[in-house]
Amino acid sequence: MRRQGPPSEIRRLATPIARVVDAAWQRMHWWIALMVMLYALSGITVVRSDEIAVVQRWGRLVGATPALQEHGPGLLFAFPRPIDRVIRVQARRIAEVTITALNDQAPSQGETGYYATLDPLMQGYALTGDQNVVHTQMVARYRIRDVAEWAFYGPPSDDVVRVEVSAAMVRSLGEMGVDRVLSDGRKDLIALAARRAQAGLDAAHAGIELTSLELTRLAPPAAAAFEFEAVQSAYISADTKKKEAQAYAEMVIPQAQARANARVQAAEAETAANLAAANGDASAFAALEREYRANPAVVRERLYRDAIDRALNVAKVRWIPPPTGGRYSGLRIILSSPAAGPTRARAAEQDAEKESEEN
Amino acid sequence: MGESVNVQARLRAAVGAVAVIAILFQAMAVVVPEGQAVLVTRFGRPLRAATSSGLHWKLPWPIDQAVTLDMRRRIYETGHTEMLTRDKKNVIARTFVVWRIADPILFVQSLGTGSGADGKLDGLLTNAAIGTLGGHDLSALVSTNPGDLQVDQIEKELLASAQSTARQNYGVALDQVRLERIALPEENVMAVLQQMRAERRQFAAKYDAEGEREASRIRSEADLEAARIVAKGAEEEARIRGASSAQVAKIYATAHRVNPELYKFTRSLESLDRLVTSSTSLILRTDSEPFSVLQQKP
Repeated sequence: MRRQGPPSEIRRLATPIARVVDAAWQRMHWWIALMVMLYALSGITVVRSDEIAVVQRWGRLVGATPALQEHGPGLLFAFPRPIDRVIRVQARRIAEVTITALNDQAPSQGETGYYATLDPLMQGYALTGDQNVVHTQMVARYRIRDVAEWAFYGPPSDDVVRVEVSAAMVRSLGEMGVDRVLSDGRKDLIALAARRAQAGLDAAHAGIELTSLELTRLAPPAAAAFEFEAVQSAYISADTKKKEAQAYAEMVIPQAQARANARVQAAEAETAANLAAANGDASAFAALEREYRANPAVVRERLYRDAIDRALNVAKVRWIPPPTGGRYSGLRIILSSPAAGPTRARAAEQDAEKESEEN
Repeated sequence: MGESVNVQARLRAAVGAVAVIAILFQAMAVVVPEGQAVLVTRFGRPLRAATSSGLHWKLPWPIDQAVTLDMRRRIYETGHTEMLTRDKKNVIARTFVVWRIADPILFVQSLGTGSGADGKLDGLLTNAAIGTLGGHDLSALVSTNPGDLQVDQIEKELLASAQSTARQNYGVALDQVRLERIALPEENVMAVLQQMRAERRQFAAKYDAEGEREASRIRSEADLEAARIVAKGAEEEARIRGASSAQVAKIYATAHRVNPELYKFTRSLESLDRLVTSSTSLILRTDSEPFSVLQQKP
């Protein structure tokens, strides 16, 4: 039989606590059991559709590779805190950073925007490869590529994107001429800067992927804007002149071809006509010759008389009497212009008649 | 009754044990998360740094204390610094560095746990930039000639120049040093702007002249080509006409060869037809044919 001694000091101090525990257990044992159960289940986490979760157990990342570390949407079973800690990240969300470090406020409407110089501390700009000045503003968009690296090792996202893109753009502009940058080299510039910025982000272990880089402004300084516009105008004007000249060429050459074709075709048509006429004449001559061979005198006479008839019908004929004594004396024939012709011709005839009568 | 007392005793023991374990765990366990380190000090003296993530232990307060350090990489941007390049050109540069704590004990001892690193890094990087850029021409930073550019080399030199001091003096590792901005002093920019304007005016004049020249060339070539086409057409026309004449002559020669005398006669009559027109005046005697027919008796 155990001897009932006086209560020890510990027992004396523990007695009120024991009474509280006893009383709590008696009155709230179901509640306590429920709380313990809820605590045990508190590690279960719902990972939403746009999230990726990683689990830290006693602070250490669970899983050796990114594939094992990252958990996609759905239920994730983990131990309650402080054993496990679930970190959920909106990894599919595209974040955006506007980079203004190399930009200067564009002159507002009504302002001349003409500055004699630029203060590099107050006005952002970058130098091109040919040491000209340009202002640029960019918008970089990115998303998380490696959740563990981004969450536990990388620098602050917006800051690292801003400085890496700025540095990449400064370097890329620094190796291209201003004309190329402001005209056809813009696409190359963006591609080069984006590639360099991504390399920088990787070197900084940012766990970030640059999805796009846009230049929202790329312009010469306001002080030289007028001259840049003048160059643009001159370029357009030169192009217009060239196009007008090309239009002229496109008009002149077909016209020349048309003229040449017309001449050739006319010659061909004339050839055909001449040949036809020659063949006709040859046939006619052959027929005449056949008749001539049969009756040369008659044919010759007929041809001669036909020709004389035609000549007399066409020409103006003046008849004069035959000479007296084999010779004309004082015969005067005046062949005048058509206006005066008939009168003077008649005068000539009258003279000849008079002379004939005298004789 | 006796069984109920037993349960109560076991419950009391369990609650007591859990409470004691929880108190001891809270006092002695150090959970080091990923991306962080815990520096354990004993009576204020740094004892060790727990840099690997997981569960670590220490003696309870006030013997040991745990100081948590952020081991993630950080960005620091220096101010704008004016410096001289090797070719004696003034340039304003700004750099940034990606850094992290490499030696937690040294870091806390030299810089504390706050933001004391910024000032140290600024001085370190500015000094490195002045020294490094002084050994390169401006064309090593900006140039359209790829052979002149040495930005990679310059950034490597900057990193190497600041790296060892940062590591040895402050327990800081530099992962990356890059040139964030390259600019010219205000007074030099004025000259650059003037030069840009002059250059643009020159370009405008050049484009104008080139446009004129090109347009003139296109017009001249077109005129030349047109003349060539017309000449070729004329040549073809002449060839056709020549061939035609030859063929016609051959036809007539073949026909007339049969009776040259008749040909000569008919040809004379044809000439007469052509020569005598309405403007021709013929003066004939009344005793010549055909008028003479009137005087002749049958």
